[in-house]
Amino acid sequence: MSDARPTIFVVDDDASVRDALCNLLESLGFDTQLFASTEQFRRAFQPQTPGCLLLDVRFPGANGLDFQQVLQRAGISIPIIFITAHGDVPMASRALKAGAVEFLMKPFQKDELLAAIEQALERDRSGRVALAELAVLQSRFDELTPREREVLELVVSGMTNKEIGSKLGISEVTTKMHRGQVMRKMNAASLADLVRMSDKLQPRGLR
Amino acid sequence: MIILKAGILAFRELIKHLVDVILSSGRPAGALPTIQVVNPSEVRHDLPTQVVVRGCGFTSTRSVRFMAVSRARSSYIIDLASMDSSGTVETLAAPGSHGTPGKKRVGVALSAFIMRRSFVIRYGAALLLSGTALLASLAMQHLFAFPYPFLFLFFGAVMVSAWMGGMGAGLFAVLLSTLLVDYFFVPPFYSWQISATAETYFVSFVICALVASWISSAKKQSEQALQEAHDLLEIKVSERTAALMKTQAELAHLSRVLSMGELTASVAHEISQPLTAVVTNGHACLEWLSATPPNLDKARQSTQSIIQDGTRAGAVVDRMRALFKKEQPVTTWVEVNEIIQELVGFLRHEAATRGISIGLDLAPSLPQVKADSIQLQQVMLNLIMNAMDAYRGSTATASEVVIRSRKQAKGEILIAVEDYGPGINPEMEEKIFEPFFTTKLNGIGMGLSISRSIVESHQGRLWATSKPNGGAVFQLSLPIESQDWNE
Repeated sequence: MSDARPTIFVVDDDASVRDALCNLLESLGFDTQLFASTEQFRRAFQPQTPGCLLLDVRFPGANGLDFQQVLQRAGISIPIIFITAHGDVPMASRALKAGAVEFLMKPFQKDELLAAIEQALERDRSGRVALAELAVLQSRFDELTPREREVLELVVSGMTNKEIGSKLGISEVTTKMHRGQVMRKMNAASLADLVRMSDKLQPRGLR
Repeated sequence: MIILKAGILAFRELIKHLVDVILSSGRPAGALPTIQVVNPSEVRHDLPTQVVVRGCGFTSTRSVRFMAVSRARSSYIIDLASMDSSGTVETLAAPGSHGTPGKKRVGVALSAFIMRRSFVIRYGAALLLSGTALLASLAMQHLFAFPYPFLFLFFGAVMVSAWMGGMGAGLFAVLLSTLLVDYFFVPPFYSWQISATAETYFVSFVICALVASWISSAKKQSEQALQEAHDLLEIKVSERTAALMKTQAELAHLSRVLSMGELTASVAHEISQPLTAVVTNGHACLEWLSATPPNLDKARQSTQSIIQDGTRAGAVVDRMRALFKKEQPVTTWVEVNEIIQELVGFLRHEAATRGISIGLDLAPSLPQVKADSIQLQQVMLNLIMNAMDAYRGSTATASEVVIRSRKQAKGEILIAVEDYGPGINPEMEEKIFEPFFTTKLNGIGMGLSISRSIVESHQGRLWATSKPNGGAVFQLSLPIESQDWNE
């Protein structure tokens, strides 16, 4: 997790709205970066920068909602706050279902914007924390031997040492030893802890 | 005997006519006040003209603008809006019409202003002509020793008198000629007696003179009646034209409002963008002011931005209002390119939303044309919206609408709106301009028909063609020196 100050990325094709948002965010003490198009933003954005995205829905030649999907497919999980002059309920529900933090109608008040930004930054922060934790877990998991991974998988599925031993064709003592290694390498305090860790790793490590 | 009878007949006619004249001159003017043009030869339908208004208890001189002037300058239609002062204007309106100064045009046919020659002039002319005929005949008889008295000059005098002064003056000339011929040329000479031998000759002269007078005045009368009918027709035509113009303007307004309705989303966007900036900058300004210490520079900048954005929102509203406004068309000198650019600025967002790009290919320094800018914008709006609609449901990858402006050799400005959509079936190229013809699901089919009538009222043309490799071109031409089409 980096300690960099969060940046608010503003993407709106209207220069005066962009500048006004920059002015307000600056007055509230945020760092901002302005972009006239989603294309510009994509080229300039670096995923390690913490922050959130203020995104207009309507764009010449592109659509903010489509861009949200583009970002998701590219694995960029920056929290998005939509701002639009003419949103409707289907538009808003589509955006929120796809994970947008907020769907603000122009013109919006400072408090609405601020609340949304704080929520978005919090989400970004916790996301980054989770990501960092996951990275640690992943590196620990990577240290396990293939046998230890097998044992881990069976342990968290609720089997006893005896059952694991008979399934893997090894003795109960050997199983116990492997299990101890797994607990140590994964830095797990209890079985419950180990289960939680494996859950987090589920999408990636354990197949 | 016969002479006496003829004389009595002629005299009775004369008296009858005199009574008519006297009665009509003493008759009070009707409910309609009369307007007399001070200088009839200077009346132009598009320039203010000095007139004297009489009737309804007042006489005053004012300046009016005529909407139509008949060729004989005997009748006029007045644009009440052009009266240079209020107050007595209403009294000019024809009964049944309620003219409000500056608001409504009321056609007033002023048959009262027919330049009638006065009684003295008409009968004086008859006297003079008969006298001249006498002198000339006498001179001819004595100087050239004509064997017979040359009486044809009297026929001439009678015919001219009847032509100029009408039946009455003609009969007066006949009476005079008869007396003079009797005295000077019918034997016995220089006496009122008529010899038996000359009786037939004299009677035939009187009959001929009467017939000549009758033919001449009848001819004149029918000609006058024809002229009056013509004037009336002209007045009717201009009244109908004015009514049609009004209907057309109303239809144009309606269709404008409808097409603006299609643009609601764009309009909302156009207004809410600057408003968002205003609100946001306002919040920022408050933040800068409540900081410790307050950042006055930033607050000032924010306020300046607010003013700019507010002005921008106001401009959008103004533009909208102009398009929604219901007004009679006003022709001014307009820059075609300027109109196109302003409109395109307005439509860019709509186009972007539909994934269409608008390309401009405008010839620099085009001469101005005389047109109603709102109506012209409406035509352009209609053509561009149609061009964008052409891409609806199409899978064309590059959707573009190109607007071109050119100066044509024959004193015209040509504007073309091109798309690369499915194009128009050649048989439909004319049909699409018919009212209520539409290919759109929710169209009413008035856009192109109204557009064409607008362009034609500008003395221009609007037509459509299909391009060989797909797409349609709508072209409109406007004359560079257009006449004042509002008349």
